[in-house]
Amino acid sequence: MNLLELDAIEKRFGGVVAVQALSFAVATGEIVGIMGVNGAGKTTVFSLVAGNQRPSAGAIHFDGRRIDGLRPDAINRRGIARTFQIVRPFSGMSVVENVAIGAMYGAGRERSPSAATARARAILDEVGLADRAGDRAGALTLAGRKRLEIARALATAPRLLMLDEVLAGLTPVEVDEALAMLLALKRRHGLTLLVIEHVMRALMRLCERIIVLHHGEKIAEGAPDAVAADRRVIDAYLGEPAP
Amino acid sequence: MTRRRLAAATAFLAVVALAALAPFLLGPYLVGVALDLLMWIALAESWILLSGMTGYISLGHAVFFGTGGYVMVLAWGVLPFWLVVPLGGLVAGLLALAIGYPCLRVRGPYFVILTFGVAEFAKFVVVAIEAGLGKAGRLMFGAPSLDELYFVMLALAAAAFVIADCVRRSRFGAGLRAIREDEDAAETIGVPTTRFKILAYTLSAIIPGMVGTVMVLRSTYFEPLQVFDPLISFTIVTMAIIGGSDGAPGPLMGAVFLVSLSELLWANLPEVYMILLGALLVGFVLGAPDGIHGWIRARLARRGA
Repeated sequence: MNLLELDAIEKRFGGVVAVQALSFAVATGEIVGIMGVNGAGKTTVFSLVAGNQRPSAGAIHFDGRRIDGLRPDAINRRGIARTFQIVRPFSGMSVVENVAIGAMYGAGRERSPSAATARARAILDEVGLADRAGDRAGALTLAGRKRLEIARALATAPRLLMLDEVLAGLTPVEVDEALAMLLALKRRHGLTLLVIEHVMRALMRLCERIIVLHHGEKIAEGAPDAVAADRRVIDAYLGEPAP
Repeated sequence: MTRRRLAAATAFLAVVALAALAPFLLGPYLVGVALDLLMWIALAESWILLSGMTGYISLGHAVFFGTGGYVMVLAWGVLPFWLVVPLGGLVAGLLALAIGYPCLRVRGPYFVILTFGVAEFAKFVVVAIEAGLGKAGRLMFGAPSLDELYFVMLALAAAAFVIADCVRRSRFGAGLRAIREDEDAAETIGVPTTRFKILAYTLSAIIPGMVGTVMVLRSTYFEPLQVFDPLISFTIVTMAIIGGSDGAPGPLMGAVFLVSLSELLWANLPEVYMILLGALLVGFVLGAPDGIHGWIRARLARRGA
């Protein structure tokens, strides 16, 4: 059963076409990767699904119901959460407060602030930030803030979690740890994952299926090995061969 | 934590009880000063509900004060006093709902300018209505005594403080503060930002409307340019900035500080008061942007750590 379906989605900014005739589906429990060079439209796809931007044309269905045109908070309440590539912590608040607010709203909607804080602490434990709970979010390192992005999104109790370059800038050892953490989170929270990543090796290991975007269009889709061998994907990354 | 809250609640009740004794202990001049102080506390505590929590600065809160005053003027002699006070709050709340719906869609400085513009617009609408009715200022006869007005204002100030404190600690307040930190991130994790902003703005208008009904009776005279005076809006903002606007204690501290300062200086050295006020505002914005309350909190946290 498909959890997420994009049908002929298009996004124009004035005369610039950011996403064009994009259709794909994500099944419940799947891990799907999105890759493409800078400016290919990957983050725009996340913004369209999460409601931060509205598609110019096409339809998006989540769990069988149409969600395009809804406000971001309404989409989040239905069970879609995202992280931001350029992290956006609530810098003036503590780490645990950041996550507790996610637990108070979203699909989980914990009514009492103390219950939300308890759930936030449990999630911080899972992402390895438990010892930083009382610190100001702005004081975390970039790697820490990326984990906070994941924790805050996870606190909203999503069914679909969209991760935007959460591995970028990590060392190979940290990437291994982060991959193990993501798989553990997926299993424990029953998540479906949609992952944008530049770290190719990581994406290949994590995903069952990869979608490749180029100039806002889907140029390939399939198993990691097949995508990596695809002529058009190689051309998109390395440029067209000289005539 | 709960024990500390119990202690805080006890202290709060003690202060309210002490304040309730003022009319029996003080002369009419000092009761009048205390009434003014309570008015500013009620106004500034209400103001932080939207502007302190979300960072959407309202520079036109006098419009709600003035609206309440005008409701009292129109209803005076028709409806009993105790009914007009909540009615003034209701009308001010509805006005905030009508203003907030379009205005809270714009962000940053545009919102600030809009609130100021709307308040000035409302002022001149009332001036025009009064002129059309052939009224140039109205006298209010048979107003309740100073002591009665004082008790009503004490109740309003206490209510405004409790509301601000409850909102600050609630789930609603956490959502509002998330809007202040990063509105896009807040709505992406499910905070219904538009609804919350409109709700906070409406809530922040109700008590100022009720305060307006009381104060127009205190002055026994109604002049639109006086009750819609932008200086009222500016003073509210100044008190909240100097005291701190991220929690109920801040506006209380700011109001006490500024009212005391003006009492000390206004009668003898009015120019010095205004100069000092400007210097203080600059000093706090640069040196202690979280106000007196924020500064104390930071010191305490450092000592605890």
